[in-house]
Amino acid sequence: MYRRLILNDCKNNKFTTIATCIFMTLNAALLGLCILLFVSLSGSIDKLMEVAKTPDFLQMHTGDLDEDDIAGFAKGRNDVESMQICKFLNIPNSQILIGDKTFDGNMQDNGVCYQSESFDYLVDMDNNVIYPVADQVYVPVCYKKEYDIAQGELMRIGSETLSIAGFIRDSQMNSMMASSKRFLVSNEYYDKLSSIGSEEYLIEFKLKKGSDIGAFTTAYEDALLPGNGPTITYPLIRMMNALSDGMMIMVILLISGAMLFISTLCIRCLILTGLEKDKLEIGMMKAVGVSGRDIRKMYISKYLILSATGTVLGFLIALFAAGPLSAQMKALYGDAVNHGLIYILMIAGEVLDEAMILLSINRTLKGIDKAPTVAVLNGIGSFGKKKNLWLPAGIITAVSVFMMLVPLNLSSTLKAPEFVTYMGIGSGQIRIDVRQTEDVSGISENLGKELSKDQSVSDFVLMRTGSYKVKMPDSQTYNLLIENGDHSKFPVKYSKGSFPKSDREIALSILNARELGLDIGDSIDVCLKSPDGSSVEKTCMISGIYSDITNGGKTAKASFDPEMDITPVMWSIVYVTLNDESLVQDWTEKFRNAHGSVKESMKVTSIKEYLDGVYGQTISNIGNASVVTSAFVMIVLFVVILLLLRLLIWRERSDSSLKKALGFTSRDVQNEYLKNVFLVSAIGIVVGILAGVFPGQLLAGIFLSSLGAQGFRFIINPVQVFVLVPVISLFTVLAAAWAGLIEIRSIRAFECLR
Amino acid sequence: MSKLLEVKNLKKGEILRGISFDLHEGEMVAIMGPSGSGKSTLLYNVSGMDRSDEGEVFLSGTEIRALREDEIAGIRLHRMGFVFQQMNCLSNLDLIDNIVFPAIHADRKNKDMYYARAKELMAKFHIEDIAERKINEVSGGQLQRACICRSMIMKPDIIFADEPTGALNQSSSSEVMDAFLRINSEGTAILMVTHDSKVASKCGRILYILDGEIKGELKLGQFDETHEKEREQCVTRWLTDLGW
Repeated sequence: MYRRLILNDCKNNKFTTIATCIFMTLNAALLGLCILLFVSLSGSIDKLMEVAKTPDFLQMHTGDLDEDDIAGFAKGRNDVESMQICKFLNIPNSQILIGDKTFDGNMQDNGVCYQSESFDYLVDMDNNVIYPVADQVYVPVCYKKEYDIAQGELMRIGSETLSIAGFIRDSQMNSMMASSKRFLVSNEYYDKLSSIGSEEYLIEFKLKKGSDIGAFTTAYEDALLPGNGPTITYPLIRMMNALSDGMMIMVILLISGAMLFISTLCIRCLILTGLEKDKLEIGMMKAVGVSGRDIRKMYISKYLILSATGTVLGFLIALFAAGPLSAQMKALYGDAVNHGLIYILMIAGEVLDEAMILLSINRTLKGIDKAPTVAVLNGIGSFGKKKNLWLPAGIITAVSVFMMLVPLNLSSTLKAPEFVTYMGIGSGQIRIDVRQTEDVSGISENLGKELSKDQSVSDFVLMRTGSYKVKMPDSQTYNLLIENGDHSKFPVKYSKGSFPKSDREIALSILNARELGLDIGDSIDVCLKSPDGSSVEKTCMISGIYSDITNGGKTAKASFDPEMDITPVMWSIVYVTLNDESLVQDWTEKFRNAHGSVKESMKVTSIKEYLDGVYGQTISNIGNASVVTSAFVMIVLFVVILLLLRLLIWRERSDSSLKKALGFTSRDVQNEYLKNVFLVSAIGIVVGILAGVFPGQLLAGIFLSSLGAQGFRFIINPVQVFVLVPVISLFTVLAAAWAGLIEIRSIRAFECLR
Repeated sequence: MSKLLEVKNLKKGEILRGISFDLHEGEMVAIMGPSGSGKSTLLYNVSGMDRSDEGEVFLSGTEIRALREDEIAGIRLHRMGFVFQQMNCLSNLDLIDNIVFPAIHADRKNKDMYYARAKELMAKFHIEDIAERKINEVSGGQLQRACICRSMIMKPDIIFADEPTGALNQSSSSEVMDAFLRINSEGTAILMVTHDSKVASKCGRILYILDGEIKGELKLGQFDETHEKEREQCVTRWLTDLGW
């Protein structure tokens, strides 16, 4: 009989039953999806890093090197498990062609290598270590989709033609945020290609389990071993791998949390509406001797069934939705995770989520115990306090606007050209990198002269990076990559202090400042090389600290005079802005073509292209997440406002009936509600915008600080924030109100007289 | 006959101002009085649905006001039956399920026995043919008789009826009263609130309440069909004397 009672109740209250079930399903689906994606991502990355035996410490180095020195250092340490020096042949992008697709505009430093000897393996799509033979080449899997590359296609590197035998996962450089990409060729072919590119070394160490990577890094620097290039450690590699998909998971988690809040609120509304309708029946049951607890149990069994249905449906939806959302992740890192474990974790998470909802339902249903029998029997009692329902309506509107704005603002921030300044990159329109040549200084000097004559250039600045020895206050010495130039032009964002204003000042990246234990006002001695070849120590005060993701995040900025300091320039970057921004593309093309002779050592890119290359995937993930979130939030907002209004109308039914008896028309009563809806949603929207811009910025700042961007501020799109989102939200709320207020027409004037 | 219900000095705000009366086993008593006199409140307080401010209510010697909420609910479930003016039923169950609902809630193991008893009761009150119907598919009289069946399903000692004919037409009303008389003749006590003098005249005794106090009592004795008219006239005269 109880089963029939519940089934009939569900059948007779289809709207509330379906709405409750949808809320429960959405909760389960979102949380299940989060767990599935999170566990898959972290599990797959770990698995790949385990199979590929990712190094714990990696020093990139350009220039000469003494292998014996490094081997000796490794032997002398008991935390080193193994060590190897890999070669990486940097190939100019202009020399790479796959089918008819050129790599000319590619932002990455592409190059070839052969399979490593004892660790840092490049693996195929089944995570097997592969060894190409003859003219075979394996392409980084991240290019498969970007360039629509198929197995069997031909790849040209300079004058050599290779055949694409498959794709590789590179546990180190898989992420688009890693600035280099390795193509795998056979040992013989590597030698054949060596004349086309310039060679770099990857000095790699695999440490024993539990070793302190930080201590090892310091020891390596102290030993003054080759360090002409960025240093990368295992945790940094793992973080770069996790970031772009991790951001998407974070957004879903955020929605999931907000959804749990909204769902409990909505289900509470639905239950209260249901109880109001069932009041007389509940009164009768209490009168004939069924205790409040037993009545509550009947209701709970209904919600248990709905919750179980929601969990199963949510689980299936999560599995279904995970397919497209994890496609990129699977391609990059594989799918080597124990599915049984994922399913168990998903179900456990979903059950926990549903348990929280059921607890809240139970709390709401306790109103049945408390309601006086006689009052409910006569239809005058109420379950729980008659709370003001306009407040939750306002809160939900605000939360919805907030949920739409955070991913939108995050997306517009990442898309904004000035965002790069949070990353340690100047905010020019064009960036020209000069690298991999013996004469970086000469080429960049000439570039400077040429740019100063160019009428279309409005401003430019030349930055030269060199490796300097610095002495700390405690006399310890370190190697520091220092970028020299006029930092007042195209400045990066400083989280503390400002750019170096004289050659007695130096700015440090956050990672360097943290690692060296330095803060603004501290001083260090930098060893410069004077024109006569002697070494000169210059005491510099820390003028500012900035966030940086380039070169492993460990950089410094100074403005030493090139006339007084002839420390070799490893690479230089020229930031350029044009008088007419629309000409960036044409100018870049022209400039590339005009410098054909030094094409190999020069890379000209617009900052937009650079952003697309490095953050394209993340931006597109967040962009997708923000579109899905907005659509989702609007549907939820519509349903929630509709439900709240229905409850409100039901509660105030007798008042509305009285108004009609006194001569109000349905339209008059509806207009009164509509006025309140408008007022409440307007307040909700304003609060939501403020929350989306300020606390939302904090929240996004936490995500972005993991990207290396500290002291982050939203770069908002005013049309989106102040016009689009408010208009869409208001429209949704009013549409929901209109749908909900139809009910008013069914209220008869005589109802209040009963 | 021994006392089944003993009410002593019952007070509830301004509505009940010290009401005392007894009800014996097998007795059928009507409570009459104008609207707002406290009739229904008295019924709710005597049956333990509501708690009075002062006074005592004994059911077969047990003071129900001293019991906990769940204990009172247990007494209502097992020893009392209820019939209301609005014929409150569960809309998601058909008629017979509504009748057995309290019984199955109290004792799920003997489900079949209760269904058999429900069928007997329905047959007794001539609604056996509509057992499977939904509550919105039957007439008011039929529904109220189903409610009487529900009140009888646990074979209670007493039935409390609050204006059981108040929402019914003349013929339905007389069908329902016939049902009550039949139950009463089989030994179940009935305490009924009504302001229909015709209905009240079928009871053995009538209490008249005004402003929360019992202002009069009329003893009519066991109902006898042959003297129906005289009983009705007697009640009307008595009520007129009391200023009704």
